Amino acid sequence: MLEVQDISVSYGLHEALHGVSITVDRGEIVVILGANGAGKSSLLRAIAGMSDGKVRGAASLNAQALIGQKPDKVVETGLALVPEGRGIFGTLSVGENLTLGAYPARARAAEKDNLAKVLELFPKLKDRRAQIVRTMSGGEQQMVAIGRAIMSSPDILLLDEPSLGLSPILCQELFRNLAKIRDTGMGVLLVEQNARQSLAIADRGYLIENGHITGAGSARDLANDPAVQKAYLGATSY
Amino acid sequence: MDVVISGLLLGGAYALVAMGLNLQYGVARIMNLANGEILILGGLAAFWAFVSFGLSPLLTLVIVAPLAFIGSWAMYKLLLRPLVRRAKTRGQLEVDSILATFGISFFLVGVMVSLRAEYFTYSFLATPVHLLGTTVAANRLVAALIAAAIGGALYLWLNRSRPGMAVRAVAVSPEAAGLVGINVDRVSAFAFALGGAVTALGGCLISTFVTLDASSGVLFTMKALIIVIMGGVGDIRGAIIAALILGLVETAVASIIDPGLTLVAAYAIFLAVLLFRPQGLFGQGNA
Repeated sequence: MLEVQDISVSYGLHEALHGVSITVDRGEIVVILGANGAGKSSLLRAIAGMSDGKVRGAASLNAQALIGQKPDKVVETGLALVPEGRGIFGTLSVGENLTLGAYPARARAAEKDNLAKVLELFPKLKDRRAQIVRTMSGGEQQMVAIGRAIMSSPDILLLDEPSLGLSPILCQELFRNLAKIRDTGMGVLLVEQNARQSLAIADRGYLIENGHITGAGSARDLANDPAVQKAYLGATSY
Repeated sequence: MDVVISGLLLGGAYALVAMGLNLQYGVARIMNLANGEILILGGLAAFWAFVSFGLSPLLTLVIVAPLAFIGSWAMYKLLLRPLVRRAKTRGQLEVDSILATFGISFFLVGVMVSLRAEYFTYSFLATPVHLLGTTVAANRLVAALIAAAIGGALYLWLNRSRPGMAVRAVAVSPEAAGLVGINVDRVSAFAFALGGAVTALGGCLISTFVTLDASSGVLFTMKALIIVIMGGVGDIRGAIIAALILGLVETAVASIIDPGLTLVAAYAIFLAVLLFRPQGLFGQGNA
């Protein structure tokens, strides 16, 4: 279980995140909804050990402390981040990206099983193993990014705006795949602006505004909440 | 034909040295201007071992590699790591590392002058060998073959093994490398040390057929720089081809026009590359 307690992130004098606490368990999808600049990415980067700012507070996964650790140590505790912009190795091949995903010591034993899992989830990657990643479409690159994260055998998968820049059809496919990943027992923490589709697959959700958590609940309750509908769902219904 | 053979042999040794700089610049992001001095140190070691103990430079290689590895590793940890830590951007690190390694190069030149102020002249395998209808010195041929063997092994290791892949991953994206659990600090230090070892090996080999002295390092730094830029930063295949081109052009100019113009030729190529293909011969622009 990922437990984040009272995390604050500041960049110089500007505090982007104020005392945020969340939990994510294995086998559930948790979505964090919020506008641009609300502090969603700051939260994920702080948890993954990649924050450029000053991080205070605590976070732990499987009772191991995360804050203050370098990204490579965080991966070994069982957490994988797919950052905004995907963070893949653009000039390396699909196969090399996936092999590098299994670099952490915790992922070596299950490398074959994880590869089979990834190729079952994204059959398209099967024939593309030799292709250089940056010559692929956005949707395919997103598959590589998520596939690579799964290769590291995470207990909890963090995704920062995975639907960004994808067509509506690819978005649907993406969210269906995230539900499948959850069903394999992995926990998924998703930061999204696409509230409608993410709430449809999520189990729970948090609302974040100006660096504060302003609401939390089951995905169904959030989707039916008039305030949420007005703020996050209204904008997408025309 | 003479020109082609000697040019390719010279290019082979250059390729090895450029591989060393490529590891340091492409992976550890340190533009090491003391690269040429590390090369000369390798040459000085080969000279000294040969003259004092009659040790074959080919055996000195085995001793020089680990020493240069440890020395370069210590140089990175003690002198360059603080720069990496404080640099906020890649550009800042580049400027800082250029200044720092420029200073280090003077320090090393001073040390070497105090050890040996004259030319490192010795004669090893200076016998003629007939090759494809032309005659070359055996030392050049041996140096090129060993350079090819070391370079080939390095290439295979980088492309086929998981640790080698991790080194390339850091070159492509340090941030993404962290995400897959690679310890970027450690891999950077390792790549810098490996680059130093490879460069020193190149120095050992080059000293068998070029007369070096304590202050000739800067020429080799410039040549390695030209090759790395021409081949494309981080592109090993490009560096090998660029090195062969440089070797060929230098040899052609020296034998057909005038030996004094080899450096001019090297810089002319450099200028042409910067003007027409700044991303390198095979570069695809920015990733």
